[in-house]
Amino acid sequence: MSPSTHLRASLWSLAGFLAMGMWLEAMLGLRVSSVVDDALRREFLRLGHAHGGLLALVNVGLGWALERLGTPSGWAARVRVAAWSGALIVGLGFVGGGVWHGPTDPGPLVLLVPAGALMLVASLVAVAILRCPSGGSPDQASNNPS
Amino acid sequence: MRRDTALLFGPALVWTVAAVVGVAATLADEDAWSAATSRGGVVGSADCRRCHPEQHASWHESYHRTMTQSVGTGDAIILAPFSGETLRVAGFVATFSTATSGSPHVSVVRESDAQDVLDADVELTVGTHRYQQYVARIDRGGGSLERWRLPFAWHPQAQRWIHLGGAFLFPDLAEGDTQAYLRHFSRWNDNCVFCHNTEPVPGLREDGTFDTALGEVGIGCEACHGPAEAHLARQSNPLRRLLAPLSDHGDPAITHPGRLEPDRHSEVCGRCHGQRIGKDLAKVLAHGDGFIPGTPLEEVSRPILAEGRLASDPPTARPFAPRFWPDGTPRLSAYEYQGLLLSPCYDEGQGMSCGSCHTMHGAEPSMQLRAGADTDAACVGSCHAVASMDGHGGHDTVGCQDCHMPRVTYGLLQGLISHRITSPDPGALTGRDDMPDACTQCHVDQTRAWASAAMGSLGLQGTAAEPYPESGGSRVERDLVGGDPVQRALAAHALARPEAVGSQARRMQALVDALEDDYPAVRWFGHRGLLVLARDEATRALLLRYDFMADAADRLEAVDELRATLGHSVVSSQPELWQRLLGQRDDVAIAIGE
Repeated sequence: MSPSTHLRASLWSLAGFLAMGMWLEAMLGLRVSSVVDDALRREFLRLGHAHGGLLALVNVGLGWALERLGTPSGWAARVRVAAWSGALIVGLGFVGGGVWHGPTDPGPLVLLVPAGALMLVASLVAVAILRCPSGGSPDQASNNPS
Repeated sequence: MRRDTALLFGPALVWTVAAVVGVAATLADEDAWSAATSRGGVVGSADCRRCHPEQHASWHESYHRTMTQSVGTGDAIILAPFSGETLRVAGFVATFSTATSGSPHVSVVRESDAQDVLDADVELTVGTHRYQQYVARIDRGGGSLERWRLPFAWHPQAQRWIHLGGAFLFPDLAEGDTQAYLRHFSRWNDNCVFCHNTEPVPGLREDGTFDTALGEVGIGCEACHGPAEAHLARQSNPLRRLLAPLSDHGDPAITHPGRLEPDRHSEVCGRCHGQRIGKDLAKVLAHGDGFIPGTPLEEVSRPILAEGRLASDPPTARPFAPRFWPDGTPRLSAYEYQGLLLSPCYDEGQGMSCGSCHTMHGAEPSMQLRAGADTDAACVGSCHAVASMDGHGGHDTVGCQDCHMPRVTYGLLQGLISHRITSPDPGALTGRDDMPDACTQCHVDQTRAWASAAMGSLGLQGTAAEPYPESGGSRVERDLVGGDPVQRALAAHALARPEAVGSQARRMQALVDALEDDYPAVRWFGHRGLLVLARDEATRALLLRYDFMADAADRLEAVDELRATLGHSVVSSQPELWQRLLGQRDDVAIAIGE
């Protein structure tokens, strides 16, 4: 995934999860029973909205960090895929667990959340650990293949 | 696989594989999904809170939770002060105090010979809503765990003690008669224990002693949902909980009354809100009734109906008939289930259920009604089409319940609505003095013949009234003097209701008649009703001097003064009618299982 694609995809994610927040407000304002009267669903939709939005912002920041730290480009391409899809999976996992759930717990789609979180955490750790080869400047290193 | 791919996606892949394996194993685990062969034991409501906090909170606000309480627990709600109050009734003085140990204490002494009749520490309370009763551990041959419900109750609204002879429908006690005084001294282990606790086991042994055990003190979650031990064990697996949406019927190891068919649903409530006769009484007294919510109640018991009798009764006996009106409608509380069974809305178990109007997890703890269930919306728009109800009834300010669920049930010192949903037909009762009708319970200044004629003028179907001599007093005024104890109590209740039609002065005059009654409960209704209706200070002062359980001489003096102030009632001003109605009174004693 190229830096620009990652940035655009992250902004699309951010826009999507922010729009979801407006939708949630509308559901509450219109007193839609399936949201208002279902505390578990409400909680997990909020979690999905909040996590999806914030982790999209994390991806925007991560894109900047990849450039700033000069993460090797091969790693960087995969980090972008893992971080963006991880963030999306976390958000959608919460939403899915809230939309389809049992009486006391979220639905099985919430099992996606740890998978997405692991991908995002692994991405962040990788960017934090990796150093540009030969101690060159970040700008030079970002152009070197791994 | 490249190293970067493995490090970035590997942990998520491992989690995903583990989750898929866990989900597959849980789905394949028959024990996680099958109908439980055993529910196991009771775990207690506190354990339910971990997964069901909202339901636990609504239950915690309910009167079910505090139906029975151990006074030793810190959060027990004890309504009575137990600060040295006394209650003098029929030559006995009861003193309610707090022992040095901190336990509420009750002692009773017979005045004539200073004999100690009762001296006991209170261990349990029963009820926190209408009134509160008290239970003490007293070994009267039933062993060290034998407990007795004391014959007193604290009435929180009136802020006073009441001897249960004044709450149940029994005539005045004979002066100094210890046996009569203790008539309502009732053994808790094989009576109260059943419907006021969760999964009770009376534990009656062959030697007559008791080893009583409770699943939980009070009416906990498992009283309606069944024992939850197996459910908890099953749901301790988080994957089983996450996969719950895959199961259409939830966990078969626990009962969700709201998902039951209407008849099964109502049986969960009917277990306690409909007095029953156990199929195997010896087994019930030894091991409990064995009822699992969601299974047919008839497997363990049958509801008491007007024609019911015990196996030991002769075939013609109808020992429970006094608890019902002549048409079979229950007239005491704790028979609400029978009322529903007799209602056309029940539709043989396919129509209305208790849950149609009530919810155990709503916002309103008093009657636990669904939102709107106390309005016409309970009937109109849900089952009865709005169009068909347009103008129905011809009353502007009267709701469905007022006519179809009249207040013809006695219990807890109140007039309660009937749970048998019927259509008023006063004309069908013309010529009969043995049961009330919905119309004259509100039109307390009218006769049944008038009500029958009014039905026709309102365009309502009803039986045409036969000519009947009803001169002298309205239907309710006549019932107040000539009815049986339930009729008299309900007549006094009807006269005092804010919805009652008729002059206030006339209603108050009639209520004074109730103050002369031989049954303390009837006097209670008369006195409470007069306190509601009396506006001027002089009359209120007279009423506040009246005690419905005082000696007859004191009471009658107050009645004379009230008559001098308010005037005689339509009935008491006609000596011949008064004597005739007194002569037709049926002074039965009616046992109330509450």
